[in-house]
Amino acid sequence: MDEPGPPAGGFIGPAQTLSPPEKVKERLSWRMLLGSPVALLPMILLAGVVGVLLYASSLHNFGWSLWSTDWNWIPPGPGSSYGIGYFAIGSLITAVLAMLLATVLSLAMAISIVVYLPTAPSRILTVFTDLLAGIPSVVFGIWGFVVLAPYFGEHLEPSLRDALYWLPGFDGPAYAIGGGTGILLAVFVLTIMIIPITTAIMRESLRAVPHSAVEAGLALGATRWEVVRRVRLPMARAGIFGALFLGFGRAIGESVAVSMLIGATPQIPPSIYGGSYTIAAYILDQQDSAFAYPLLLQVLVEFALILLLISIAVNVVGNRLTGGSRERSPRE
Amino acid sequence: MAVSESKAATPADLVTYARGRLLFRVIVDKAMGWVLLLAFVAVLFPLADMIYWISAKALPTFSVGTLTLDQVGTGGGLHSMIIGTFIILALSTTIAVGIGVLSGIYTAEFAPRRVAAAARVAGYLLAGVPAIVLGYFGFYLLVIYTGWDYNTLAGGITLGIFMVPFIYRATDLAFTNVPRDQREGALAMGASRFQYLRRVALPIAMPTMLSGIFLAMALGLGETAPLVLTVGWSNTIPQTLLQPTGYLTGAIWNFYDFPSTYGHFQTLAFQAAFLLIVIVIVLNVLIQFIAERYRRKLRGLLG
Repeated sequence: MDEPGPPAGGFIGPAQTLSPPEKVKERLSWRMLLGSPVALLPMILLAGVVGVLLYASSLHNFGWSLWSTDWNWIPPGPGSSYGIGYFAIGSLITAVLAMLLATVLSLAMAISIVVYLPTAPSRILTVFTDLLAGIPSVVFGIWGFVVLAPYFGEHLEPSLRDALYWLPGFDGPAYAIGGGTGILLAVFVLTIMIIPITTAIMRESLRAVPHSAVEAGLALGATRWEVVRRVRLPMARAGIFGALFLGFGRAIGESVAVSMLIGATPQIPPSIYGGSYTIAAYILDQQDSAFAYPLLLQVLVEFALILLLISIAVNVVGNRLTGGSRERSPRE
Repeated sequence: MAVSESKAATPADLVTYARGRLLFRVIVDKAMGWVLLLAFVAVLFPLADMIYWISAKALPTFSVGTLTLDQVGTGGGLHSMIIGTFIILALSTTIAVGIGVLSGIYTAEFAPRRVAAAARVAGYLLAGVPAIVLGYFGFYLLVIYTGWDYNTLAGGITLGIFMVPFIYRATDLAFTNVPRDQREGALAMGASRFQYLRRVALPIAMPTMLSGIFLAMALGLGETAPLVLTVGWSNTIPQTLLQPTGYLTGAIWNFYDFPSTYGHFQTLAFQAAFLLIVIVIVLNVLIQFIAERYRRKLRGLLG
C-alpha cells in the first residue's frame, strides 16, 4: 500500500539506491555544506575586517585636524598633530599618475593581443604579463631602490628637468631630485605593477564585444584599426573604465614598493622628482612605533580605515563597470 | 572653375579619391599594429632588466650555504627564512583552501541566487582590500589585542585571509563552468547532488581550482606588508607558532637599504629576491601547464 513514489526533491533528489554507509556519508556531507553558512565566509571575513577597524577607530578624538596637513608628529602625545593631508596628496598623485600611464600602455597591449597579433605570440605575451603579476612587490622595490634610483637621480631626472622644465611639475628645485627616490620612481614602478591587472581586464572587455558587430564593421570594408576605434572601443568602454578604477585601487593600496621608492617625506612635493609619502606606506613604516605610542596606533587605525573605505568604493565602481568578475579568470 | 559648376565629382574622381583614402587607411591600420607593439617593449624591457640585475647581484655569491646556513651577523644564508616562509605558507594555505573551497562550492552549487550574488560581491571586495589594511587588521587583532606580540600564527591567519578570495573565486568559477549537460546527465542518471559533485564535477573543476590555489600561493608567497605587521622578524627558526620568524620577503624588506659595503646584508636581500622570482616562475609554469591540460580535457569532454 505504501508504494514508493517519486522522490520529494523531483529529479535532483537523492538516489533511492544508496547503501546505509553511503546514506550516512551523504547526510553528513549535505549537512556540512548546506547546514553551515560557508558561502557567507567571504562576507564574514570582509565584515570582520571592516568591523575590527571601526571598533578600533575613534575618529571623534581627532576632529578636523585629521583632515588637514597639520603635521607635527614628534613626540606623539599632547601637542602633536596628525593630518592625513600630505599622505592623501601623495597617494592621490602616485595612484592617478600610475593609473593614467598604465591605461595607455595596457590599452595598447590589449588591442595588440586581441586584434593584431597571431595566436601564438599573443599567448606568449599574455604569459609574460601574467608573470609580471606574480613578481612580489618587494622585489620591484629592491630593484627600484638599488638599480633604478641611482640612474633616475643621476641621469634621467636631471635630463627630464632640462628638457621638460616648461611642463608644470617637471621643473622644481634641483635638490628635489636627490638620490633618485621620489614620486617619479614610485609611479614608474607602480605602473609596471598594475599593468597586468588593467591589461587583463581590458583584454577581456575587448574580447567580449559581440562578433556580429565586429564582423559587420569588417564586412563594410573598415580596416582592423577602424573597427577598434569605432566598434570595439566604444562597446568596451565600460570595461575599460572599470579597469581604470581597479588599477587605481591597486595602486593606492600598494605599500611596500612605494615605501621603498617614494622618499618617505611628508610634504607638498616640490616637483615630480621630489619625495612624498602615501597613506599605505606610512602605515607600513610606522606600525613598529605604534607599539610604543598608543596615539600613533590610533592614527594608523584611522589611516587604515580611510584607505579601506577608498578601496572598497573604488572596487565597487570598478566591478560594477566590468560586470563583476564571473566570466573572467580568477587571475585578476 | 567651370568644371566645379557642372558636377561635384565624376565617378572617376571618386574612385581616385577612394583609392587614395584606402591607401591611407591601410597604412594607418598597419602602422597602428606596430606602434601598439611598442607598449610591450615598454613593459617587458623593465621586466627583463629587473630579472637581469637581480640575478647579477645574487648569483655570484649564491651557494649551497645560502640555502642551508642561518643568517649570522651580517652574513650567512637564508635557511631560517626559507623554513619560516614555508611554515607561514602552510598555515595560510590550509586556512585559505579550507574556507575558499568550501564557500566556493557552496556558492556555485547550493546557494540561492541572491546569496550567491552577494557572496561573489563580498569575494571580490575582499580581494580588493589592500594588503596593508589586512595587515593592520591582523596587527591590531592578533598582535596587540590578544597580547601575543609578533607571532607566526598571526601572520599565517592574516595571509590566509589575503589568499581566500583568489581560491574562492577560482573554485566558484570552476564549478559554475562545469558543462551543463554533464550536470544534467549525472542528475538524470539518479546521482545525488553530492555524488554529482564528487564524481563528475570535481574532476572537471579540479584543474581550475588547483591553478587558483597555486596562484594564491604565489601571491601569498610574495606578500610583504601583512607579514611585516604581524610576524615580526627573527633570524632563527621559531620553536612555537607564537614566536616571530624570518621569511623571504622580510629579508628583502629588512636588508634592502643597507649600504652594499656593509657586510653581506644587501646580497642576502638580493638572494632572497632571486629565490622568490624562481619560485614564482615555477608556480606560473605549473599554472600554465594545468590550464593547458584543462583546455585539452574540456575539449575532449565537449567532443
